Amino acid sequence: MTVTSAPVRATPRHVPQAAPRNMARLLWVELRHNAMPLVLPLIAVIFWFDSYRIAATLPPLWVVRLYYILGQGHALIDFAPFVAGVAAWMGSRDGRRGTGDLVTATVRPRWEAQLATWAATVIWAVGAYLVFMAVTLYLLARPIAWGGLPWWPIAVDAVGVAAFASLGFALGAYFPGRFIAPIAAFGGLFAMGTSSQIGFSASGGWALILPTMSNGNFGQDAGIFYTWLPDLSVARVMFCGGVAAVAVGLLGLPVRAGGPRLRRSAAVVTVTGAAAAVAAIVLAFTAQVGPYGTVIPALHDAANDKPIPYTPVCGHAGIPVCLQPAYRPYLPDVTTALRPVISQVAGLPGVPVRASQAAAVFAPGPTVGGPDHVGQIAMVRGSPPVLYMPLGTIALPSSFGAVTASFVSQLKVEFAHALVTPGSSYGNPAQQAVEAALLQHAGISLAAQPKALGDTPWPLMGGGPRSAGAYPPPVAAAARRFAARPAAARRAWLAGHLGALRAGQLGLGQLP
Amino acid sequence: MTTAGVRRSAPGATPTPLTGPGQAWLRMAWLYLVSRHAPAATGLLAGFGALLWAALHWHWNVAGGSAAAAVFPLITEAGAAAVIAVTTYGPFGEPERATGRWLPYLRLGATVALTAAAIGALALGSTGGVLPGGYAALARNVAGITGVGLLCAVVLGGMLAWTGPMAYLVLIESALAAGLTTPWVWPTRPPLDRGGAICASLVFAAGLALVTIRGVRESVRDTAT
Repeated sequence: MTVTSAPVRATPRHVPQAAPRNMARLLWVELRHNAMPLVLPLIAVIFWFDSYRIAATLPPLWVVRLYYILGQGHALIDFAPFVAGVAAWMGSRDGRRGTGDLVTATVRPRWEAQLATWAATVIWAVGAYLVFMAVTLYLLARPIAWGGLPWWPIAVDAVGVAAFASLGFALGAYFPGRFIAPIAAFGGLFAMGTSSQIGFSASGGWALILPTMSNGNFGQDAGIFYTWLPDLSVARVMFCGGVAAVAVGLLGLPVRAGGPRLRRSAAVVTVTGAAAAVAAIVLAFTAQVGPYGTVIPALHDAANDKPIPYTPVCGHAGIPVCLQPAYRPYLPDVTTALRPVISQVAGLPGVPVRASQAAAVFAPGPTVGGPDHVGQIAMVRGSPPVLYMPLGTIALPSSFGAVTASFVSQLKVEFAHALVTPGSSYGNPAQQAVEAALLQHAGISLAAQPKALGDTPWPLMGGGPRSAGAYPPPVAAAARRFAARPAAARRAWLAGHLGALRAGQLGLGQLP
Repeated sequence: MTTAGVRRSAPGATPTPLTGPGQAWLRMAWLYLVSRHAPAATGLLAGFGALLWAALHWHWNVAGGSAAAAVFPLITEAGAAAVIAVTTYGPFGEPERATGRWLPYLRLGATVALTAAAIGALALGSTGGVLPGGYAALARNVAGITGVGLLCAVVLGGMLAWTGPMAYLVLIESALAAGLTTPWVWPTRPPLDRGGAICASLVFAAGLALVTIRGVRESVRDTAT
C-alpha cells in the first residue's frame, strides 16, 4: 500500500487549535520570566511605610482611613513609578538586546508577542496591587465597626496601575535603552507629583479626572450615611483604561508589528482608547458637586442617592444621644461633651429633647439623617427641638492632629453655639457672652476658650493665630458677670429669655 | 611563509595610532565611559538640571508642608542619582573583569565624575529660583542618594539600581510628611546638619567603595528578562 492508495481519513471534528494554546504558553513563559516580581517586595515595603502605616493611625471609619490611600491617591503613587519603570524595562527587552529583527522574523507577529509580554507585566502589577490592597483593607478593617468599602476607587487605582504599566511598556518598546526604566519611573513619579499639585488646588473641571484629586468626591460621610457615588470613578476608569489601550495600540501600528489586519486592529484599539480617554475628560467637565459627592449626569444612577439604612446606637447625656453605628466608638466622647452643657439648660423651652447625628455632606442640598436646612455645624431645629450634629465635619481624635480633648471641646462649643444662636453666624455680643458663660460651666474656662474656639468656624479675633484671639472686653466682662450668678438664677433667666436671645433681640446691657 | 618572522606590518595596513601612556589612558577611560553610556547619562543629568530650573522658575510646588514643597527638587536629585547608578552596569561581564586591571579605577573615576556632574547640573538648574536648603543640601542629597543607588546596584544589579533612589525618594516624602527627622533620611534634616551629612557621606562612601572594589552584581535577570 502506498500513500496514494491509502484510504482517506476523515478530519477530526475538534482540531486542536495551536495558536491560542501557544499564546497561553507564551504568556506563561513571560509570566515566569517577568522582572516585576523582583521589585514587588520593595513596593510592599513602600506601600506599608507610605500608605498603610499612616492610614492605620487614623480614626476607624473607612472614609477617613482610606482618604490618604485612595482619596489622595497614595496607593497609586506608591505603585505607579515602580510599575512604569519595570514595564519600560520589559518593553525595551528586545531593543536592548538588539534582537528586534530576530523576533520580527518569527512566525508569530511582533505585536502579538509584545502583547504577551505586556499582559504578563500588567498581570503581575495589577495582581500585586490587588493582593496588597486586600491585605491592607483586611488589616485596616479590624477596628472599623460599620460601613462599606469604596470599591470603585479601588478599581480606579487598579486600572491606573495598568495604565502606568502600559505607558512604561510602550515607552520601553519605542525607546529601548538602559536609561528608559529610570526615565519612565521618575517620569511616572513626576506625573503623580504634578497630579497631586493640581488635585490639591483645583476644585473641578478636567482635573477631576486625576486619581489624586479628592476635592468634592472622597470624604465627608460617604459610605456611612449614603453610598459612595461611582460617577467620577467610572469616568476615571474610562480615562485610565483608555490611556492603557492607546499605549498598547500604539505598539501595533508600525509596519514591523504585523500584517495589515493586525495593524488595523491596533489602530482600532488606539482610536477606541483615545476616544474613551477624551470622553472621560468631557464627562468630568460636566460634573457637579452634589450633597453626596460628585455627580456626572450622564453616568448618574438615581438609585445611589438613597440613604443607607441603619439602626442608631444611643447613649444618654441628660437627653438621648443617638449616632450612626459607624461612629459608635465616639458615643462616650459625645455624651461626655453634651452632658455638662445640657445639665445647665435641660427642660427649658427651646432646648433640644434629644440629639441625633446628621450626615456631613459635600455641598448644600437635601441631606439624610436630618432636615434639609441642617448645614455642616450642629444646629437645633424642629418641634420638639432636636440637636442635629454632623460629626463627620469635625476632626475626630487621632486625625489631623486632633485628640479626644479637642474633639470634646469642639462638640461643647458647637452645642453651646447652637443653643444661643440660630445658625452659623458668630452671634451678637449678648449671645457670645452667654455662650462663653455656658462653656465656662461646661469645663472650658474663659482663658481656655480662645483655643477651643480656634478650631471652630467662630474663632475669636486677635490678629494672630486662631487660637490666640480674645473676647472683646465688654463681652468678657458680661460673660464673667453672667457666669458668676448662681446656677438657679442663670437657669431662671434663660427660661425667660432664651428665645429672645436666640433671635438676636437682646443686647449686652440686657444681660443680668 | 609563516608569520613567525614578521616584525613589521604589511604595506598598506592601518598604522597603529601613536599613543603615549597618557593618550592610552584617555582612550581607555573614554571607551569605558562609552560602554557605560556615560555621555547619554551626562545629557540626562543636564535634563534633570533643566527640569529643576523649570520647577523653581515656574514655582511648581505641591500645596502643603515641607514634604510637598520639596517634591520636585527631590525628584530631580533622586532622578540624577538613579541615572548614575544605572551607568554602573557593564555589558562585558567576565571578560572585562578578567582583563581589565584598571577597572576599579575606571569605576571610581566614572562614578565620582558623574556625581560631580550631577551636582553641577542641578546647581546650575537651581538658579531658576530659590532652592529649598541651598547648595549644601543639594550636594548632600545627591551624594547620599547616589550612594543608595550604588548600594542597590551592588545588591540588585545595575539595571535595577534605579529602584533604590526611587524607593528612598518615596520614603523621604513619607518621612517629611510624618515629621520624622532621623539622620539616615538626610533630606529631612537642615542643610548644614552634621548627622545628616555624616550619614549621607557614609552611604555614598560605602556605595562607592563596593562598586569600585567589587563591581555591581550581574543579575541573572539582566540577561534573562
